[in-house]
Amino acid sequence: MNWTEIVTLLSAGIAMGLGAIGSGIGEGFAAGKAVEATSRQPGVSDKIMKTMLIGQAVAESTGIYSLVVALLLLFAAPKEAGIVKAMALLGAGFSMGLGAIGPGLGEGYAAGKGVEGIGRSPHEEGNIFRVMLIGQAVSESTGIYSLVVALLLIFVV
Amino acid sequence: MHEVGVVQTASFDLGPLHIVFNPVTLIMTWIVIALILITFVWLSRKMRQVPGRRQAAVEMVMEMFDGLVKETIGKDSRRYLPLILTIFLFVLFSNWVGIVPFMQEPTKDLNTPLGLAVIVFFVTHFSGIKYNGLFRYIKSFFEPIPFLFPLNVVGEIGKFVSLFFRLFGNIFGGSVIIWVAYTMLMSSWWTSWILVVLGPFLAGFFGLFVGLIQAFVFMMLSMTYIAVAKNQ
Repeated sequence: MNWTEIVTLLSAGIAMGLGAIGSGIGEGFAAGKAVEATSRQPGVSDKIMKTMLIGQAVAESTGIYSLVVALLLLFAAPKEAGIVKAMALLGAGFSMGLGAIGPGLGEGYAAGKGVEGIGRSPHEEGNIFRVMLIGQAVSESTGIYSLVVALLLIFVV
Repeated sequence: MHEVGVVQTASFDLGPLHIVFNPVTLIMTWIVIALILITFVWLSRKMRQVPGRRQAAVEMVMEMFDGLVKETIGKDSRRYLPLILTIFLFVLFSNWVGIVPFMQEPTKDLNTPLGLAVIVFFVTHFSGIKYNGLFRYIKSFFEPIPFLFPLNVVGEIGKFVSLFFRLFGNIFGGSVIIWVAYTMLMSSWWTSWILVVLGPFLAGFFGLFVGLIQAFVFMMLSMTYIAVAKNQ
């Protein structure tokens, strides 16, 4: 087992391990808010459930990016390369792993607040849902930049 | 296992130009366009004053989109409705066509989302200039203080970079996950039966669900960017 391969394995672990933090906490926050909203307004639990699930699915996207980078590192990254490439692969893991924390937390927060808002005024479901989705998409931008840098480090450098 | 992340390209020389293109993406894009055409020609056949069930369903969807565009863009919303609806339908069909075996999503290739984002970019800034006048529109980049001009420009470009990389990242990510699951599970006969359960689930989640969400997000963000530039 050579250098590059060892670094790649480490990097894949870092990418997924750190990348799971943000989405995990964020989605948990959304679930907690959904429970709170349901206990306040049990009549609209189906609307709350729908918004929670979609909000969580969007909040999970940075976690999915981390998984993609980890899988690419495991299966598609070069096995034999110089030290510069090895360090680039390590950098890709750090880039995606650390970069996924913020958007995961932020999007989960937005999902939680969206669910809370629907529990408070269920008739405004459409508006709340739309604002939530756009806000989540914009707060995901930094996670996308992390993904772009990670892909560049894997395939281009 | 090196085929992931590699796009099949073909190239030819036309005089001094060296032209590179992706045949798979091109073919799939035409298939998607044909699918959209066939679907909507079929849906709009035999239109009547009193709509039948099929026509009523399409009219309901159209009215929903009309309302959505009017609410977001405001004045002259009908001018933007065809563009917005086309973007939504094209992205949606592109994302969904990938669940058919041997078909590839055109959106999996970075060039397709990039092309769409370039269209939205030009429409956004053209609308901004048309509705506010050239001088007022350029001035808006120097607000609230002139010092922030570089930051505003970077933010403006970043909006579109994240717009097309969001679509690409989600669709490409889904296809990488599906590809890894298939390659690993098909490698031995006693794990391949897991695919009977896992395959439809993966296709349903990453193809249908993520595809729908991303098509909606792409459309909503394009519309919001246009509205922000137009109505400032």
